[in-house]
Amino acid sequence: MSAAAARAVLEVSDAVVEFDTDGGRITAVDGVSLQLSTGETLGLVGESGCGKSTLARAILQLVPMQQGSVRLEDTDLGSLSPRELRRMRHRIQMVFQDPRGSLDPRMSVTALIGEPLRVHGIGDRASRAREVAEAMELVGLPALVADRLPSELSGGQQQRVGIARAIVTDPAVLVCDEPVSALDVSIQAQIINVLDELRDTLNLAMLFIAHDLSVVRHLSDRVAVMYLGQFVETGTASEVFTEPRHPYTQGLITSVPRADTESAARLQTARRLVLGELPSLLDPPSGCRYRTRCPYATDRCADVEPPPDLLDGHHAVRCHHHRAITAGEHQPSSKSMRG
Amino acid sequence: MSLPLLEVDDLHVTFNTASGPVHAVDGVSFTMESGDSLGVVGESGSGKSVTARALLRLFAITDDVRIAGSVRFDGVDLLRIDERKLRDVRGGQIGMIFQDPLTSLNPLMAVGEQIAESLRLHRGMGRSEAAAEAVELLGRVGIADPERRATELPNSFSGGMRQRVMISLAIACRPRLLIADEPTTALDVTVQAEILLLLDELRRSEQMALMLITHDFGVVAATCEDVQVMYAGRLVEKASMVHLFDRANHPYTEGLLRLVPRFEDAHTGRLHPIAGQPPITGGGGSSCAFAPRCSHAFDRCRSEVPPEVAVGPQHLSACWLAAERAKDATEAGRPWKRDP
Ligand SMILES: Nc1ncnc2c1ncn2[C@@H]1O[C@H](COP(=O)(O)OP(=O)(O)OP(=O)(O)O)[C@@H](O)[C@H]1O
Ligand SMILES: Nc1ncnc2c1ncn2[C@@H]1O[C@H](COP(=O)(O)OP(=O)(O)OP(=O)(O)O)[C@@H](O)[C@H]1O
Ligand code: SF4
Ligand SMILES: [Mg+2]
Ligand SMILES: [Mg+2]
Repeated sequence: MSAAAARAVLEVSDAVVEFDTDGGRITAVDGVSLQLSTGETLGLVGESGCGKSTLARAILQLVPMQQGSVRLEDTDLGSLSPRELRRMRHRIQMVFQDPRGSLDPRMSVTALIGEPLRVHGIGDRASRAREVAEAMELVGLPALVADRLPSELSGGQQQRVGIARAIVTDPAVLVCDEPVSALDVSIQAQIINVLDELRDTLNLAMLFIAHDLSVVRHLSDRVAVMYLGQFVETGTASEVFTEPRHPYTQGLITSVPRADTESAARLQTARRLVLGELPSLLDPPSGCRYRTRCPYATDRCADVEPPPDLLDGHHAVRCHHHRAITAGEHQPSSKSMRG
Repeated sequence: MSLPLLEVDDLHVTFNTASGPVHAVDGVSFTMESGDSLGVVGESGSGKSVTARALLRLFAITDDVRIAGSVRFDGVDLLRIDERKLRDVRGGQIGMIFQDPLTSLNPLMAVGEQIAESLRLHRGMGRSEAAAEAVELLGRVGIADPERRATELPNSFSGGMRQRVMISLAIACRPRLLIADEPTTALDVTVQAEILLLLDELRRSEQMALMLITHDFGVVAATCEDVQVMYAGRLVEKASMVHLFDRANHPYTEGLLRLVPRFEDAHTGRLHPIAGQPPITGGGGSSCAFAPRCSHAFDRCRSEVPPEVAVGPQHLSACWLAAERAKDATEAGRPWKRDP
């Protein structure tokens, strides 16, 4: 095991999550492994429906896994009784997308933030009040709003309450599922700063899910790119974002509209890297999951599932041809080119 | 010189609400020519959507709303024609796309039929001609197997495909102006890229004017030549896209540009949110509406509305410091890119 794994507070191995749907059984998370160390942020990106939230919920044991394990601080969460699991839960907490919907409208700010402490039976009344006040200060909530109801708060304040609730139990791991996507741009910036500061001051391990790649890049040390339930590329943020190897990662990154004069030209390139529509999970492609949209796909891609290919460091890519593509020795097939 | 395609002059929109009047649009003026592409940006509540809706008087009957000013489209003031004539313009000469295509599509009618209906109404086509044209249009917006898909209901389309259907409906009557309000906000980036390219191609091939409302400067950069920044119901800055990124003049624009992480930057310290919030009652005051949040504000900002000042070619900024800041920008380059 590598040094990083030794220090990992969270270790997910070969997680598989399946759902029974009207159309049949789907594999929403298909053999995902990850490690997360103290003070480190792993960003998780990928198209809608690729399994990001399901993975997050599986890690928190909110949906059952058909296979694999989740270890939190060397405890296998899957082996715990419901009671033991409840006792562990304060060590891993979650921040949700919709701040309003995740807060009980009848509870005051202090009651909401103190709730996890009461539920987990942490401390006494006085110490809880101190913890709540401290959490409020950490997320930048003025004491003035302590007695307000969620409806009397701005969107940004509501999300601060959501974050305060998550950190008040002193978790080792914070899972953030689209924590800023429901917020207006200037409030987004405030919340991103709060998370950034908390990670540093509390030395949190953070799993950060967002569809905005600029935000993910800003916050993450490492990044995992997910496609149809699998990680297709993982590495440090700069490896994945400045030297993307997987054709899907390349397409995703090129698709981000940037505020510069090359923006339109870049989108033309993006269109050539991500073809057609996302296939259904009910009928996932054989071999490489990305092959139906990949301009570089060959027969081998349809026949053989590419294993993760580990480059130097932690950079891993699941593509048969990425080395040849990077060397300029493998061109897109002309029949897949459009326009 | 010929008449501009769209000439909005001193547009005001006021809602009477239970908690008092909201000046959602407070004296907006701009023009657009055929083939123009104009991005409108600003924080939530700045009046972008209300401006677009006012052009076509698209308000709910329950809205207690007052509109003033003029909206000349092809020389005709849309605020002064009757509702029946305006209905011909909506979805005819002026097409619209909204963020959530499901709310604008009839869930019980096959998409091909919805497009055909619009073609019969606005272009006077016969039944079979309209049906054939609907299929043609679905193909044009990049929907594979359009004959079959034309017969399907909206909910059998993915988010991106649904937005394509919406676009085909909006362009069915060859509009001269297409208004797109956050058309890609709910979509994945890869799908967003396709939709933006499609809008851009349509604008070029049809010589259509495009007004695109968004909160994302990246989206503007990809699709628009011009941009205007809105705050509290007013246009605070107008410029060509290239010029704005180079020489943002208004402190609000500068704040907006600095507050989002830019993809090309790795972690460069904390972000710079703009302190405070936009006024919930919109504009209408006798000051610069941004003054309470502006770090450069001085007495005059709090007592007089700053006029639009030319600070460069086709570049206007409504700030008492506009001229001074324009000079600094020329000397110092891109002020918003500098770290404090
Ligand atoms: N409880 C469930 N029952 C059945 N299917 C589910 C359930 N939860 C999720 N799914 C399906 O699993 C797949 C992955 O969904 P998930 O919510 O994890 O995606 P996501 O990557 O978080 O997407 P988004 O970006 O839209 O939030 C989807 O096809 C979804 O429809
Ligand atoms: N029907 C209405 N009745 C009363 N006030 C309204 C109505 N519609 C909009 N407003 C108000 O008008 C102002 C401008 O709203 P508008 O929808 O134009 O904002 P926007 O710039 O489009 O914001 P967003 O980015 O959130 O879409 C806001 O203060 C809003 O609350
Ligand atoms: S394995 Fe083949 S189909 Fe998959 S990404 Fe690589 S080249 Fe494309
Ligand atoms: Mg999700
Ligand atoms: Mg709007």
